[in-house]
Amino acid sequence: MSETLAAADGRDPLGRDTIPKFIAYNGQHRRDRPAMREKDLGIWQSWTWGEVAAKVRQLACGLAEAGFQRGDKLAIIGDNRPELYWSLAAVQSLGGIPVPIYQDSVADEVQYVIDHAEARFAIAENQEQVDKLLTIKDRLPRLKTIIYSDPRGLRHYNQPFLLSLETVMERGAAFEKANPGFYDAEMAKGSGSDVSIICYTSGTTGRPKGVMLSHDNVVRSATLAIAFDKINEDDEILAYLPLAWVGDNFISYAEAAIAGFCVNCPESGETVLSDLREIGPTYFFAPPRIFENLLTTVMIRIEDASAIKRRMFHYFIGVAKKVGRSILEGKPVALGDRLLYAIGDLLVYGPLKNVLGMSRLRLAYTAGEAIGPDIFDFFRALGINLKQLYGQTECTVYLCQQKDDDVRSDTVGPPAPGIELRIDEQTGEVLYRSPGVFVGYYKDEAATAEAKTPDGWVHTGDAGVFTDDGHLRIIDRAKDVGRLNDGSLFAPKYVENKLKFFPFIKEAVVFGHQRDYATAFINIDLGAVGSWAERNAIAYTSYADLAGRPEVYAQIKNCIEQVNRDLASDSSMAACQIRRFLILHKELDADDGELTRTRKVRRRIIAERYGELIEALYSDKQAVAVEAKITFEDGRTGTFKANLAIQGAETFIPMRKAG
Amino acid sequence: MNPAQKTIGDVLLKVENISLSFGGVKALTNISFEIREHEILAIIGPNGAGKSSMLNCINGFYHPQEGTITFKGQPRKQMRPHEAAKQGIARTFQNIALFKGMSTLDNIMTGRLLKMKSGLLSSAIYKGPAEKEQIEHREFCERIIDFLEIEAIRKVPVGRLPYGLQKRVELGRALAAEPTLLLLDEPMAGMNLEEKQDMCRFILDVNDEFGTTICLIEHDMGVVMDISDRIVVLDYGRKIGDGLPDEIKRNQAVIDAYLGVQH
Amino acid sequence: MMFFLEVLIGGLMAGVMYSLVALGFVLIFKASGVFNFAQGAMVLFAGLFFVGFMELGVPLLLSLLLTAAVMVLLAGVIERLVLRHLVNQEGIILFMATIGVSFFLDGFGQTIWGSNVRQLDVGIPTDPILLFDGDILIQSFDLYAALVAGVLLAILVVFQKTRIGRALRAVADDHQAAQSVGIPLNVIWVIVWSIAGLVALVAGVMWGSKLGVQPAIVSLALKALPVLILGGFTSVPGAIVGGLIIGAGEKLAEVYIGPLFGGGIENWFAYVLALGFLLIRPQGLFGERIIERV
Repeated sequence: MSETLAAADGRDPLGRDTIPKFIAYNGQHRRDRPAMREKDLGIWQSWTWGEVAAKVRQLACGLAEAGFQRGDKLAIIGDNRPELYWSLAAVQSLGGIPVPIYQDSVADEVQYVIDHAEARFAIAENQEQVDKLLTIKDRLPRLKTIIYSDPRGLRHYNQPFLLSLETVMERGAAFEKANPGFYDAEMAKGSGSDVSIICYTSGTTGRPKGVMLSHDNVVRSATLAIAFDKINEDDEILAYLPLAWVGDNFISYAEAAIAGFCVNCPESGETVLSDLREIGPTYFFAPPRIFENLLTTVMIRIEDASAIKRRMFHYFIGVAKKVGRSILEGKPVALGDRLLYAIGDLLVYGPLKNVLGMSRLRLAYTAGEAIGPDIFDFFRALGINLKQLYGQTECTVYLCQQKDDDVRSDTVGPPAPGIELRIDEQTGEVLYRSPGVFVGYYKDEAATAEAKTPDGWVHTGDAGVFTDDGHLRIIDRAKDVGRLNDGSLFAPKYVENKLKFFPFIKEAVVFGHQRDYATAFINIDLGAVGSWAERNAIAYTSYADLAGRPEVYAQIKNCIEQVNRDLASDSSMAACQIRRFLILHKELDADDGELTRTRKVRRRIIAERYGELIEALYSDKQAVAVEAKITFEDGRTGTFKANLAIQGAETFIPMRKAG
Repeated sequence: MNPAQKTIGDVLLKVENISLSFGGVKALTNISFEIREHEILAIIGPNGAGKSSMLNCINGFYHPQEGTITFKGQPRKQMRPHEAAKQGIARTFQNIALFKGMSTLDNIMTGRLLKMKSGLLSSAIYKGPAEKEQIEHREFCERIIDFLEIEAIRKVPVGRLPYGLQKRVELGRALAAEPTLLLLDEPMAGMNLEEKQDMCRFILDVNDEFGTTICLIEHDMGVVMDISDRIVVLDYGRKIGDGLPDEIKRNQAVIDAYLGVQH
Repeated sequence: MMFFLEVLIGGLMAGVMYSLVALGFVLIFKASGVFNFAQGAMVLFAGLFFVGFMELGVPLLLSLLLTAAVMVLLAGVIERLVLRHLVNQEGIILFMATIGVSFFLDGFGQTIWGSNVRQLDVGIPTDPILLFDGDILIQSFDLYAALVAGVLLAILVVFQKTRIGRALRAVADDHQAAQSVGIPLNVIWVIVWSIAGLVALVAGVMWGSKLGVQPAIVSLALKALPVLILGGFTSVPGAIVGGLIIGAGEKLAEVYIGPLFGGGIENWFAYVLALGFLLIRPQGLFGERIIERV
């Protein structure tokens, strides 16, 4: 255990400064412990650290034999397969740089990355990926060798530059015999300041940028994270998120090698859920979307179950919601509730966690976007230690991590150990300095200079605030954050997200930049509001009709006031409370250009198109007439006329949160 | 990317002057053709042309009143389906005939029944050679599952699967018998474009990797022209064409049959 | 309390006898999807031959073997003359055929051996056994019946794991598909009917020893119907548990509810129980849930 108690700066006391050195160490000191498993032909095949170290060595020698030089890049494309993880280590031990590529990228995207990274070598998982590479091979003059791992369907491919992994390994074994000591010498040449990996991030605009991370970045960040969550060699994870994503490289490769735990590769993308159940990982990472899907699946199954089971489920979930989080966080709970929770665990939570593959889970993280508080609380109430972290590729994954005993759904936690954070007074943008700060964007000095200040601070591009007790709350992309006329921060997306967590609200657009107060457009969710209306015998003829019903307005007003109350509890956000709102007569639609294809609000277009409505929100009118051009499904256009009601919502006096 | 030119071998199955009728209604009249080793032969024709009847004769469900069928050089008469299976003929059905209550894996394992050697009762005791054999069969079936990319539904009762996947499981069960001749009755009926593409790939891969001879019935002309080595055309129970895809495209009788010229 | 236990145990033991008949039904239904109406007649048929051989002075074991041979032969004849011509027909048609077989067996057996009630003694002790200082009385015969049923069940469960067992399931699911993977349909049918015949033989011997071999056994055997509804048509354990529930329920109802109706409810109570069960759980306790994708 002593080895995981690293120095405060995350440097290794044994002087191991690259991941291959950790793997070689594990190969000796954890020789017979499981390092990797993969489900193949229905059976979990496993490799010990001793075997993994040997495979890496052999593969590295094979690559060297094939002409791989120090500084060369290897493009890696495929699902989470042990061989591909080995190739990461093999390349790094030769002083090369792996460039993982998202496996579902189309040929053009792959071509851009390989071309930009100047990769001479590529390793592909299977025929699908090889075919993709072959279609762009002519446009990639530098690409010299393509290695494939799964030979299926590739029997008749006889291009001279195509090599099977098996061949490379065989030649590697021969090479090693002929050059004993070669591998160790090469590995020893590596140092912490070398670039260890280039991760291409898909920017929302323009071409992806290649983020260069050094070995130091990765080793130190991972060491600190391991100490923070007391991760150890007995942990188990399922590697199912894309290899090309920095987080997977960090957890399934770097943390695994440093802490020495076992990484499990699923059989295929479709079997992840059942593989999860079979493995029962102790440490799990998933974007909010996955937790959301899991919850939905559970709820659907429960609705199909017998009445007794359903009642039992809802009763005990109620108990869990009441006391589960307190029990998880070790806070005092009445004996009776504790007892009920224990019964619930026996009857409901335990079996449920088992079905979800979360029985052994002691650490779960979610990140990437805001998670709905209901979803977040549901899993925590079950006794699953689900936490949030915040970070990006440029900082080597994380900046903030929540502590086990202080987890909230609306903040991402205090700055993690070793990380300095500050918020720019002017723009509200979060900046950081940390051991994980990236080396630079590959072949893009200008972008690097833009992101990094001369004194080592890095722009995140996100606007955030610190809560009164020092937790960071991310509110929006920095460029979208504005100011109210009284100078207080205005974060539309933050408020919109809060609104959208209500099932009745499908879309919300909040205004307030250079205004006196905040107002909102609301789009109701036809499914949720429609079925609510049916249950309450409210007749309606169309979306516009339903949206205009006073009963619906009352419901939405209620939601908005809840959000206002929530905002008021946070001094920095209290000014964003919504004073007036209206419910739009039509759904914002990507076909009309009001949303992007990924359903993000296009503020500029909405501001132009609905200028009159916005002005009405800032007047004292109680209603506003709209006349809109609408396009029917069949392509005809028509005009829609109506009076939209505008309502006020109660706002609350800002207060400091107790405690 | 171009598969090496495959070598088509000797005649595997020879159909000579087959006639079949049900209570006086002629389903097939005087049909002859042959299927050669390693080839993919498609039987096409308008509805009611007698294609399925032809397959049913080959695998022994129907017994033609006249003519002979020679498989692997041995002429046969009145062969029953299970005997055909024993000789290496496996098939799938137009309307999917799976063991609905069993899982995907069990369906495929059942397809392997003929390959199981252990005695009647020994396999019940799961010990020694019987257990070893069981493991070998399981592994073989797992390879098929891997091949057809149906890992995710291994344990799912097939009755719950969507149509396209059921078709795939049925193909898997046929493959489990390691057939010499594989009969596919409309393997792509009712599938969407993507499922069809997948199925085409599997058929070509089976033919290529295992060298299995395939005889299929299919309606989708595009598919037929793409994947078959040779095509036999039936119309009203008679053979009106037999040749390479390009020849069939130009065959006037075939064009007439499909355009509905009156006879 | 002790009286209740006594009634309960007595009922459970009687239930074992129902289970024996129900097992035969389940086997055939599972393997061929046919509801074999003739199972009751087969019990009588087997009983008649067995007692007939015994009366001719054939030793017990040999009689058993001879009757077993007769039952296998019968299975072959049924396959050859009836089933073979009905491949791929609807279940209802096959069911009708078994009604025909039932009448034939009923009549044919009696033509050969006569229709008198015949006593059968195979040496199973019939002394009562006293438990709890004589508070509870059970028949040792019932105990033996339970033992026989247990052994039979064990054999059948093991059998299901064999190659033939797998083939049986396949045939039950889809005739065409089973044939296409190389399962010879007729052989399987002979096997299934033989097994059902052997189970009928066991049931015939037990019932015969208890009540004497007589035509009434046929209708008594139909008690297996509510047992099947309760346990599920496709489940071997279901047949056992269903039999126990019906047996115990019947006896308890007779003793405790019977007086309200003036007695004699034992004969129809089982059917009421089954009817009620049909409403709650149509697939039976252990039956496979009917999964059909629409």
